[in-house]
Amino acid sequence: MRRLPGLVSIFALTMTASIATVSAETIVVSMKGPGAGNPFWAAVEAGAKAMGAERGVDVIVLAPPTESDVASQISQIEDQLAKGIDGLVLAPTDPTALAPVVNEAIADGVPVVFIDTIGSNAGVTFIGTDNQAGAALASEFICNGVPSGSDVAILTGIVTQSTGKARADGSREGLTACGMNIVAEQTGEWDRAKGLNVMENIITGNPNIVAVFASNDNMALGAAEALKSAGVLDDVLLVGFDANPDAADSILAGEMTATIAQNPVNMGRFGVESVLKLAAGETLDPVIDTGTVLVTSDNAADFQ
Amino acid sequence: MTESSEGQKVADQDNHTLETHTRPDGLALRLLPYIDKYGILIVIFVMVAVLYVTQPDVFLSWRNITNIFKQTAVNAMLSIGMFLAILTAGIDLSIGSVMMLGMMSAGVAQFAGMPWPIVLILAPLAGMGAGLVNGIGITKLRMPHPFIMTLGMLFMARGLGNLISGGVPLTGFPDAIRFLGSYQIPLGEYDGTRFNLPVALVLTIVVYIAFSLMLKHTVLGRRIYAIGGNPEAARVSGINVDAVLITVYGICGFMAGIGGLLLIGRTSSAFPTAGTGAELEAIAACIIGGASFFGGRGTVLGVFGGVIVMGLIKNGLNLNNVSVFYQQILIGAIIVIAVFLDVLRREIGTRK
Repeated sequence: MRRLPGLVSIFALTMTASIATVSAETIVVSMKGPGAGNPFWAAVEAGAKAMGAERGVDVIVLAPPTESDVASQISQIEDQLAKGIDGLVLAPTDPTALAPVVNEAIADGVPVVFIDTIGSNAGVTFIGTDNQAGAALASEFICNGVPSGSDVAILTGIVTQSTGKARADGSREGLTACGMNIVAEQTGEWDRAKGLNVMENIITGNPNIVAVFASNDNMALGAAEALKSAGVLDDVLLVGFDANPDAADSILAGEMTATIAQNPVNMGRFGVESVLKLAAGETLDPVIDTGTVLVTSDNAADFQ
Repeated sequence: MTESSEGQKVADQDNHTLETHTRPDGLALRLLPYIDKYGILIVIFVMVAVLYVTQPDVFLSWRNITNIFKQTAVNAMLSIGMFLAILTAGIDLSIGSVMMLGMMSAGVAQFAGMPWPIVLILAPLAGMGAGLVNGIGITKLRMPHPFIMTLGMLFMARGLGNLISGGVPLTGFPDAIRFLGSYQIPLGEYDGTRFNLPVALVLTIVVYIAFSLMLKHTVLGRRIYAIGGNPEAARVSGINVDAVLITVYGICGFMAGIGGLLLIGRTSSAFPTAGTGAELEAIAACIIGGASFFGGRGTVLGVFGGVIVMGLIKNGLNLNNVSVFYQQILIGAIIVIAVFLDVLRREIGTRK
């Protein structure tokens, strides 16, 4: 008995440190992972909070401890629904597993939008990157950088996933349209080591390659290693996707040439703005593009 | 010990302490059985009181209460299986992965067009299969500790689950499969609030009562406690220790499969990351509930309490918008405190 107070006081301290203030409107932003340690989610959080401050609404940002913890994300949303909230901005850790709790929110009359990753509930607006447009932007950069008719290669992600397919389609169409000769289109399954292996095989068979589009930075970084060991890195234009800090370093070091950045700040901003619109009775487009930006040595320092 | 003197310390070391305990110890000694049995209920009561004060409108609402039970049901199924393993002084690290294997087995059967009763039974059967392999490995392959066999199974079951499903989520289960995890029995409406009772809560209660009866009133139950208390004595007294252990790990896997069915119900999805780290949550619930790692000690009520404490922490911090990192810290702290209480209990208990 006499030892219980220790336990209780820890609990009470944590609780009292955190009693939320009550306000008119509360919007919950449920992200896939915590902002701490991941610049992408930190940017989503910052964007959402900034929009909340502009509109004078409370924005509560939640995330499970890891991006694989689907059950925690569901529980967090259920708990917020029990409290009563005025909007839900959701980046689902698993699009299908989150569908039942999204339906619960809709049944409660809570407006919902998806950000970053599209969910499986019909009729819910998706706010995120138009990956096909982003890949087209990368193709345009390649088309401007090398003469028409040159040999180029595409490293695709996992094309059974929507993101992988969109980036493959966007780059293929873009490169074909400006008359490039696509000599290889192979998958590196988003993986750095596999990107390296596939790139080695491609240059062995196609030594005249002058440009490569990799569907994410991991594969581009792997490809950079392959091109380096083949001694052709300086002659090849290498473009990735995601603008992760490693890729920014690589661009500044003169290895990768460019990458495509998503705009997570806009995901947070547009997400909060959109549920407020829904709450006010407005309708939304089914898909809202948050835009993509070309990152080269000029602006790579912003992404380190 | 407040009046402890040099003399008493010496006496302690010499084990001549029969009549030297002081009044507080005497009180503690008399309270000990009650703290053992009901201490967890006191902890829960205090947590409920604190949470009620911080969230008076929400915390004790019917919806939030049922939420807590919906959220803890999966861990409740895993923890009761884990509890059996811990009672035998063992452990089962594989149950999170085994749960996922059960879910994927059901998913594959579902999309192969099998009738729902077969899909439904496949999850616990696959779980039990993995559990039996664990048990056979621990006993017949003479693994030095259950830790090793079940660690192996942790990897094998997840790999096998990904292999049969192709590593992608299998989604869209019919209501019959989702019944256990998602159906809510309507109890009626009062004062504008609809009262529903989650089937998952009913199942949890039924399972816990069944395990309690099994442990108290069956031969198997008494043998499980006996093996945990002293395996050699159990062996000498004619108990087939191997058979009991294989049964225990089989049940543990079976319950992981049931947990998988509940998660399928909740999410309508069998997904590759399901159950990652779930074994650690189950171990935590058992320890918080007073189960001893030395085996042979702990109660079903305690485990239920441990599950609820973990659920309350998460629910309470979620309602108060506290970062999940605090949940991890708090759960960790409570594990340490719970075991420290156990250490103190032993010290008082042995100082007759």
